[in-house]
Amino acid sequence: MRRGIVRLALLCLWAGRLGQAQEFKICDRTVQVHGFASQGFVYTSGNNWLTMNSNAGSGAMTDMGLSLTSQLSDKLRVGGQVYDRNLGELGQWHPSLDWAVADYRFKNWLGVRGGKVKTTLGLYNDSQDLSFAHVFALLPQGTYPTDLRDATIAHTGGDLYGNIPLQHEAGEIAYTAYAGRRSDSIYSGYPYLLQDWQVFFRSFQGWQYGGDLRWTTPVNGLTIGASRMNQSITGKGTFVSLFDPGAGLVPFERTTKAYRTNMFYGEYMVRRLRIDAEYRRDFFDIPYVPGVELQTNIHAWYIAGSYRIGKRVQVGSYYSHYVTQNTSGGAALAPIIGSTDPSQPWNHVYDKVISGHVDLNRFCYVKVEGHFMNGYGWATYPNGFYLQQNPQGFQTNTNALVVKTGFHF
Amino acid sequence: MKASTRWLITAAFAVCGALSARAAEVKIIANQSVTTDSISASELKSVFLLQRRALQDGSIVVPVVQKSGATQASFLREYMDRNPEEIRTYYYGLVFTGKGLMPKELHSDAEVVAYVARTKGAIGYVNIDFPTNGVKVLAISQAGASFARQLVTRVEPEYPETLQRLQIGGTVRLIVTISAKGSVEGVQLLGGNPILAEPAIKAVKQWVYSPGPSRSMLEVSIPFIPK
Repeated sequence: MRRGIVRLALLCLWAGRLGQAQEFKICDRTVQVHGFASQGFVYTSGNNWLTMNSNAGSGAMTDMGLSLTSQLSDKLRVGGQVYDRNLGELGQWHPSLDWAVADYRFKNWLGVRGGKVKTTLGLYNDSQDLSFAHVFALLPQGTYPTDLRDATIAHTGGDLYGNIPLQHEAGEIAYTAYAGRRSDSIYSGYPYLLQDWQVFFRSFQGWQYGGDLRWTTPVNGLTIGASRMNQSITGKGTFVSLFDPGAGLVPFERTTKAYRTNMFYGEYMVRRLRIDAEYRRDFFDIPYVPGVELQTNIHAWYIAGSYRIGKRVQVGSYYSHYVTQNTSGGAALAPIIGSTDPSQPWNHVYDKVISGHVDLNRFCYVKVEGHFMNGYGWATYPNGFYLQQNPQGFQTNTNALVVKTGFHF
Repeated sequence: MKASTRWLITAAFAVCGALSARAAEVKIIANQSVTTDSISASELKSVFLLQRRALQDGSIVVPVVQKSGATQASFLREYMDRNPEEIRTYYYGLVFTGKGLMPKELHSDAEVVAYVARTKGAIGYVNIDFPTNGVKVLAISQAGASFARQLVTRVEPEYPETLQRLQIGGTVRLIVTISAKGSVEGVQLLGGNPILAEPAIKAVKQWVYSPGPSRSMLEVSIPFIPK
């Protein structure tokens, strides 16, 4: 943690210098330089959260990004961004290429992006790391689980996108269609969860394709939309089979039989008020050993509201609802009691949140947020709670205080 | 003219000026390379949200914004429905997701006019009363209107002799309702000196535009510059 804070401080100093000149020229082309960083502190009662030892208070919540972008011609833009984070046991300061894109806009209604591209999914998937852009220190974790960001954050491939104005003053449609490969860091939440089950990934990657359609309606400030993602993911590594533990660690390779995500969302902004709501459903079917498949059904939704009190101060609140149901061959999963019963605390997380966001100046902010959670949603797929940090078992309720500060330039 | 009369007229114009200052907003300016003379409010919003780079006539435009100040606030309130903090956050969101570049930020109307004048495709906004030499001023058509109306016949307004002599000028802003055939159906005063507004309205009622698919509305600014 200390190393992380030193890095953040150095980045702040560097950013301060860059703040004077955020662009430079190469071959007569202007290159914009931008960066962001944030540092959080989390204290919880009840369970430890997000792989942090948060019951004792934890500052292991740091992230940062640095981007370079240039407009090479009227229609062609190129750029890239490096991202690094440490969240409890996740990330562990291994920097990654967040995105690297060549973007060519043929027409308003047709553009192409290629490279490693941030995935458009719901309202905030692609901007979930940009804490300064949100009132909340943590987005609704049922819909945007920060421990599982790798699952959806970007794909290496391409997008087709564009904006189409509708006739008769019916607003505008923005579309994105994409295909590419996802490649998770082995320091992300799902591989970390499975370590506790004696499953050790060397790689976890595969194809993603899908699209997003959003309608800026004629009602001023109202946008509605839907997203879809299909995936085929292969995990490779070693594991100890529950059915043959005596064999010890054996190699394995598993590919999802089905993996799809649907999202529906709406956003309404009027003057100082912003209201948004999203519904997300994930379904995946993973072979565990020959003849045994695990199906996971996740239903999540939230409704959030925020209000700008003044130039620098915003307050907000949301309710996030997350339910997971696990089956095997369509029947309840025997090792998990009540695996299809949403009322069981291991099958849900209900999170009530209040938050305050203060912009200290154009570049820096501080947020204070309270979470009041019921359930821990820990079964075959994580949602913020891990047995590694809660070896004594989980408690039903968790309250959390999150303080977060950061800057961008 | 008696000194007291001149004082009264000047005072009256000062009051009128103060009243119209409340409505003092912005005008949209573009580099001479931009071929269109008007832009719809929805198109303008898309341009400044970086959702489109080409206008309906095919002109590639590059928005330039003001870093802060009353002009920026007026523009954002009038055309973008966002406050300065929100729009800045929005731009940064595009930058850090690889979906856009931060628009050029300038500090004053003078800087914007100078930049737009020398930069091909540049489009920006300045205070309605700021001189705009070397750039073109784009008329704003009704939100959602998707057909640019070209002015075919223009009748110049008559400058009131008294005001001309007193070196009193100003800009009158009007909303013009144009029929599908191109005639001016109605004129509404948005702001400016009411005494100058009268001849301005009289002249604009005689204007003729190119035909369009339906009735449309344009914002028109008419400057009165004392010689």
